[in-house]
Amino acid sequence: MDVLNKLQILADAAKYDVSCSSSGSNRSNKKGGLGNAEAAGICHSWSDDGRCISLLKILMSNYCIYDCAYCINRISNDLPRATFTPDEIVDITINFYKRNYIEGLFLSSAVVKSPNYTMEMFLKVVKKLREEENFNGYIHIKAIPGADKKIIDSVGRYVDRMSVNIELPTDEGLKMLAPDKNYKDILNPMGEIKNEILKYKDERRVFKNVPKYVPAGQTTQLIVGATRDSDYKIINLAQNLYKGYELKRVYYSAFIPVSKNPLLPRYEAPPLLRENRLYQADWLLRFYGFRAEELLDENNQNFDLLLDPKCDWALRNIQYFPLEVNKADYKMLLRIPGIGVKSALRIISSRRFGKVSYEDLKKMGVVLKRAKYFITCDGKYSGIKSMDSGLIKKSIIGMDENLYSQQLSLFDLNGGILGGERISISV
Amino acid sequence: MEKELVYLYDGSFEGLLTCIYEVFYRRDDPKNIIPHDDIEFSLITEYLNIQTDIEKFKKVYNSIEEKISKDFLRSVFSIYLSEEKIKGIIILNYIRAGFKYGKNVESYQANAHVREASKLEWKVKVEKHRYLGLIRFKMLEQGVLYATIEPDHNIISLLGAHFSLRMANEYWIIHDIKRGLAVFYDKKQWIIRSFENNGILSFQDNEESYQNLWKTYYKHISIDNRKNLRQKRGYMPTRYWKHLVEEGG
Repeated sequence: MDVLNKLQILADAAKYDVSCSSSGSNRSNKKGGLGNAEAAGICHSWSDDGRCISLLKILMSNYCIYDCAYCINRISNDLPRATFTPDEIVDITINFYKRNYIEGLFLSSAVVKSPNYTMEMFLKVVKKLREEENFNGYIHIKAIPGADKKIIDSVGRYVDRMSVNIELPTDEGLKMLAPDKNYKDILNPMGEIKNEILKYKDERRVFKNVPKYVPAGQTTQLIVGATRDSDYKIINLAQNLYKGYELKRVYYSAFIPVSKNPLLPRYEAPPLLRENRLYQADWLLRFYGFRAEELLDENNQNFDLLLDPKCDWALRNIQYFPLEVNKADYKMLLRIPGIGVKSALRIISSRRFGKVSYEDLKKMGVVLKRAKYFITCDGKYSGIKSMDSGLIKKSIIGMDENLYSQQLSLFDLNGGILGGERISISV
Repeated sequence: MEKELVYLYDGSFEGLLTCIYEVFYRRDDPKNIIPHDDIEFSLITEYLNIQTDIEKFKKVYNSIEEKISKDFLRSVFSIYLSEEKIKGIIILNYIRAGFKYGKNVESYQANAHVREASKLEWKVKVEKHRYLGLIRFKMLEQGVLYATIEPDHNIISLLGAHFSLRMANEYWIIHDIKRGLAVFYDKKQWIIRSFENNGILSFQDNEESYQNLWKTYYKHISIDNRKNLRQKRGYMPTRYWKHLVEEGG
């Protein structure tokens, strides 16, 4: 089989992994070498599904020994199979990189023969790239659950980011849909990678020439909608991963039916709006000081698809509002729907020189059609007559009949470009 | 009726800062500062041609660096690279604000002049950042990587720095065909020269096969169930597609 055919098969097989970010590492080029990594990340193109292409995202092989129901590469699926040799992967990566098609390599694989064998092949690829080709661009490698710590560590010394995909948020889900996997095997390497990162960081404090270990940190992916797990379970898990394992990102991927397995739910279309709500909530956890249990609870397990999670929280806690924008502290400003991190900082910095007017708010990027229900500006309130959360909700939702499409266009262009991330969302 | 005053300079950054020097020195309040090539005949305008003077340029340059900041100087340079017609006056007002507020001037977003300057700087920086990803090199027969671009703003000098680090061990050319400018890099340093390419380019034998690999990859990495061309165009406006291999460029 020629390289072009392999690339077709192994790009197709890799595309359901959403992560493509090339950010978080500032590896510099070496003498006579090729490439460096930009901390902010760089997007090189956008495919027809609107997702950024930053890295060459391929599987090394799609010959899998496992049979996970949600996965297109499961052993029982009848589809064309292929395997790249390490040399082929290195050649494509170097030549794509020189032409500025990509920011680096994101290599994953089906489990070939065994987890250890698969990781050994990864090691061959990254060693050749870094040591023989003197390649200093971005490399993201999937750690295969069940592989030995030793081999995961060796790979970690060459790469910028490592990730282990959790895929299903609960152990019951894994048992049902991915009988060959278990939670322990997934969380173990995560914990080990975290410990190694900390160890290397400590050593670097004393010895400057200690090599970097996974400098861009680790990430994971959760599939949304393949099991009955609620949003509450998902964001709680995300919160624990950020805290306990110091993950850089948790990615959410709307389940796309790739199999007719009766255990899987049927969808007309992938649950994209739900995926969007989870990303918004994830932003709230990471940048807005919210805790998962504030956003949802046992009685309220799923996000309202009609309202973004922050608005929903504000309406359930209407007793805090309206807030005076000239007085509220930064923490509370961030909790006002329609005010983001940037506009909150702008409000704080311009308050030092005088009162902020309603007009100023607009210029600072505050989304007033949302914020107006929750703020007073110099004592003046511009929302509807009462602070009744039901009425406000009606007014917000009724504002735009195309709410569904509007919500999906909340993807913030600027964050997307400068963050180098696949998406960023203004909440 | 009193005539409106417009300063003229030779189009260089040095020339622009010389004008700034003169405005302060003469206590003028010009309506605009423009390159003399952009002159438009008008009965109500009085034009004042300013000769570029390296000494005066240095005075302005150094006092900005000293009294405001090096970053501010970089911002001014970015704004100078924009194609905005009134960038001269935006820069003048921004520098005035800089001398008034000092090194944190960009945080004074309530000031209309600061806001206007920040917006323009942002536009230039966004385009530069886009091009860091969207440039496509093709390998010429002689072993030189060659890329063509047509940016809205004159950002070629901002790109040179990035690629001289990244592709330190390659020969490459980035050619702005809209402005007839190119950056040349010879594994040691990069220079900008005016450049027209009238000949036919010939590529290395395997160039086409790598382009085909990339096109194939591009097609297959997209998820059909999630097709969203509007979002794609939002991130990557169609005016950039002409030079993208994956879009047939």
